[in-house]
Amino acid sequence: MSTLTAAPITAPTIEYGELAPMLIIFGAAMIGVLVEAFTPRYLRKSIQMPITVLSMVGAFALTVWQGVRGVRSAAAMGAIAVDGPSLFIWGAILLLAIVSVLLINDDDHFVAEAAAVPGSAEEDQALSQGGAHTEIYPLVLFAVGGMMLFPAANDLLIMFVALEVMSLPLYLLCGLARRRRLLSQEAAMKYFLLGAFSSAFFLYGTALLYGFAGSVDLKAIATALSTVGGQDALLFIGAATLGVGLLFKIGAAPFQAWKPDVYQGSPTPITALMASGTLIAAFGALLRVFWVALGDLDAEWTPVLWGVAILTMVVGAVLAITQTDIKRMLAYSSIAHTGFLLTAVVATGKESQNANALSGILFYLLAYGFATVGAFAVVTMVRDPGGEAGHLSRWAGLGKRSPLLAGIFALFLLAFAGIPLTSGFFGKYAVFAAAVAGGAVQLVIVGVVTSAMAAFFYVRVIVLMFFSDPAPEGPTIAVPSMGTAAVVTLSAAATVVLGVFPQPVLDLAHTAAQSLFVR
Amino acid sequence: MTTHYLVLSALLFAIGGVGVLVRRNAIVVFMCVELMLNACNLAFVTFARQHGNLEGQIIAFFVMIVAAAEVVVGLAIIVTIFRTRRSASVDDANLLKY
Amino acid sequence: MIAMLAVPLLGAAVLVVFPGPARHPWYGAAVSGVTLVLALALAVRFDHTRAARPQFTVDVPWIPGLGLRFHLGIDGISLPLVVLTALLTFLCFVHLVRHRPEQGRIRALVIALLVLEVGMTGTFLALDLLLFFVFFEIVLVPMYFVIAVWGGAGRRAAAVKFILYTLLGSALLLLGLLLVWAHAGTLDMVRLAQAQGAGLSRAVQIIAFLAIGLGLAVKAPMWPLHTWLPAAHTEAPTVGSVLLAGVLLKMGTYGFARIAIPVLPEGAAALAPWLGAFAVAGIVYGSLACLAQRDLKRMIAYSSVGHMGFVLLGLATLTPVGMNAALFGNIAHGLITGLLFFVAGGIKERYGTTELPRLGTGMLARLPYLGSLLTFACVASLGLPGLAGFWGEMLALLGAFQPAAGLSRPLFLVFMAVGGVGTVLTAAYFLRMLSHLTHGRPPAGTIGGGSRGAALLDVSAYELAAWTPLVVLTVVLGLWPKALLSLTDPVVQAYLGTR
Repeated sequence: MSTLTAAPITAPTIEYGELAPMLIIFGAAMIGVLVEAFTPRYLRKSIQMPITVLSMVGAFALTVWQGVRGVRSAAAMGAIAVDGPSLFIWGAILLLAIVSVLLINDDDHFVAEAAAVPGSAEEDQALSQGGAHTEIYPLVLFAVGGMMLFPAANDLLIMFVALEVMSLPLYLLCGLARRRRLLSQEAAMKYFLLGAFSSAFFLYGTALLYGFAGSVDLKAIATALSTVGGQDALLFIGAATLGVGLLFKIGAAPFQAWKPDVYQGSPTPITALMASGTLIAAFGALLRVFWVALGDLDAEWTPVLWGVAILTMVVGAVLAITQTDIKRMLAYSSIAHTGFLLTAVVATGKESQNANALSGILFYLLAYGFATVGAFAVVTMVRDPGGEAGHLSRWAGLGKRSPLLAGIFALFLLAFAGIPLTSGFFGKYAVFAAAVAGGAVQLVIVGVVTSAMAAFFYVRVIVLMFFSDPAPEGPTIAVPSMGTAAVVTLSAAATVVLGVFPQPVLDLAHTAAQSLFVR
Repeated sequence: MTTHYLVLSALLFAIGGVGVLVRRNAIVVFMCVELMLNACNLAFVTFARQHGNLEGQIIAFFVMIVAAAEVVVGLAIIVTIFRTRRSASVDDANLLKY
Repeated sequence: MIAMLAVPLLGAAVLVVFPGPARHPWYGAAVSGVTLVLALALAVRFDHTRAARPQFTVDVPWIPGLGLRFHLGIDGISLPLVVLTALLTFLCFVHLVRHRPEQGRIRALVIALLVLEVGMTGTFLALDLLLFFVFFEIVLVPMYFVIAVWGGAGRRAAAVKFILYTLLGSALLLLGLLLVWAHAGTLDMVRLAQAQGAGLSRAVQIIAFLAIGLGLAVKAPMWPLHTWLPAAHTEAPTVGSVLLAGVLLKMGTYGFARIAIPVLPEGAAALAPWLGAFAVAGIVYGSLACLAQRDLKRMIAYSSVGHMGFVLLGLATLTPVGMNAALFGNIAHGLITGLLFFVAGGIKERYGTTELPRLGTGMLARLPYLGSLLTFACVASLGLPGLAGFWGEMLALLGAFQPAAGLSRPLFLVFMAVGGVGTVLTAAYFLRMLSHLTHGRPPAGTIGGGSRGAALLDVSAYELAAWTPLVVLTVVLGLWPKALLSLTDPVVQAYLGTR
């Protein structure tokens, strides 16, 4: 054991300044927990909401400032990479999180008393007393902090911790829907069990890679690829199980099964947060692992990801056609979009090619994130007596009841479909162009065909909204609160602006991608 | 020999994985996940020994803490659903379908 | 130049924001009228001596990050199509002023048509591949709505078919464009056409031509990808059919002439025999299908398949004669079929049906003007010498007689012969239809099962206003084809490198 009686311990250096955006979020989350403990119930919401939004805005401002300063380094002893892609992803996640929080702020999405059995006297009492779980805000903050840490983690342990910090609050948030609580609790359980299962895979992969390289540092693993010989079994099984864990988080087929269930059952604002933020964070992490740590192994993993990408696109597009629930349909569409994004992940090559692919992915993620948050925001506004009008048939004739809302929803759907002059088109174009340049022509063929199929069912919903006769007792359109209205407006504006004049954001993504990932 | 520990860890992981897939009680499924996490821990510690560095052992501590947090969240979710349904079988959770 | 796009777009935007009172068709007519004037002004100021080069170009970077430039320009082959688009749109609005669709929602229809005009004009003006694609796609959405909302009984199915086919087509088109971009490194059509495929290997050219060609062939439509067309034409409202036949189909063949053939010459040479074979198959199939039709609109739709077959055959020859024929055929078909659909729409309005057996006989006696216009349009469509339809078919066959070097001459002679049979068949079905419909004695009493039989009005003033320009142009182009050919020829020569 002589090796373990090591040299004196030196304190690690931590670049607090560079990590400040994340630290603000986590700090605010802890303050939020304290607020829960020490302030009277009636005051909590009015304290939590400003803390949440302000910390996010502050963190966003700091991220922008660091971007302007051109910070590109691996902070905290190389454990956390604060590089171009990280900063872009942080900014995107924070923006989308701010927007989602405005949506979450609406009172009636969340359960009054989570512990009360649905339909019991306790629940009625909690409802009549106007109870509310203000713990939601710190939970969201923790989740967002995890989302920021996940793609920035430069070693697998930090990545695992971030994964859990991101996921655990989301598991809980999923189960807190005010209406259809059984559905919501079921979604939470499914998400939790499958999520824990997948993180076990992630962890086992980490263990094997650690066994292979003797370190969990991404850079060290990359170096070990060329120096360590005779340990291929560890490497391949490790990379595969790690990949399973990551692919699960982005919802790629065949690990997509949780997505529709969870998206449908969760409170819609949380779905919006997951569909935008989690996807971005998980993609960032996936890219970092595969490009940085396993970059020299690409001959082995590209064929697998090819298969996964094709399967994901096909499954997403085909199953979306058969859906009758609007949130499920959006979930399957999210799966299809994951597949489109994967086409660019595969398209690696020279450095400039990688930078192009990366900037395409970053732009796509941001564009898709805004459209998706906007779409779910619209979903929250179309109400039946028992909650949101989930079934597609209830959306028939919405265009006659509320042309403006239906028009905006149609805009988001067109963006998903990738019709020109919406953000989706340029996103898809950037990603596919990168894939073609990277030699993945066959993938792009599948991509364009499935995106045409996908476009078909988006258009079908548009037709349903505008050209079908409204159901006699159709859903009501909730008068949007300030927050919801702001979310819808913002997202619609982003979708149009990114569709007509995407250059500034493309530039930003391009600059962010130029440096690639810090190694 | 450290190989034996690695084989044991792989076995535990596999048992856990199969358990998640075949067991029907949410609590048991959850315990199987915990088993998988602990299999990872065993692997980490073994590899730490093999490589002669401390990283793996420290990671094992991190994993324990994360697993504890997971237990808190997981049990909370399972208990709520049990109170509602009087059953913790994942087969009864069948409202969300295609 | 930009005003051509900006005017209808602003017009549509204004209408979206300010619903305003009725009279939307007037408004639409005014907006599209301004566009038409602009198009005519462009035509007048167009420098005919330098028709091969794009003029009035606008070239500003739009999204440099993706290499997308807002690059517009007009040359000999786009000018006639731009004018045709502006004209047909304007005439559609004139038609709408009086003849409103039953479904109402006139404001939405006007908006849709204006957006459609933006897309169509933009497609013809674009000199950047991606920009071309953007406009190409923009057209789909309003057209889909036009069919789905204001169409006939089977509109839902027709619209779905339309959008499915064209979406898949544009997906392939996008793929081809990406291939060209990945290998040539530019999206600038002018530079790509000048390069004549330099830098693109033969294999890439063939694959790209296949992808782009299929994408465009869906739109053209080429047999056997035409099956969306009859449904869409039959169910679309009159204005929809007119624009669909008059302009949308041209976007496919224009794409061939503008992108596929000049940019990918080797791919074109390799696949031209196939294109030619499918083209003549389309000609014959279209004619035979016409003979079997019992519905007037459906029949015209199938005749479009045949006519576009001639256009594609002309393109497939890869000769200046053939290409000119194709571009001429484009315009002629736009005018004539536009007229045919207007007339068919008029008939439907009066008789309540377009099924031939129920229309009865003796239209000339009952409605002399309408009957004679129908006769005129049909005769023009079957390619009577002296009218516009003749030259397109005639020159296409002539081109097939002497195809470009490297193409199998015997094969194209067969194509020519089969195409010739096609013309005869075309004549047969139109004459059969005319003899049935217009001649003979009007049936006593009711027509088409309706009781309005006695009160049928002949051509209204608005209809006359909408239709006359088409008639006049058909005659003018028939008598003086050089007016158009002198425009297209320099470009074609430049593209094929024969000058």
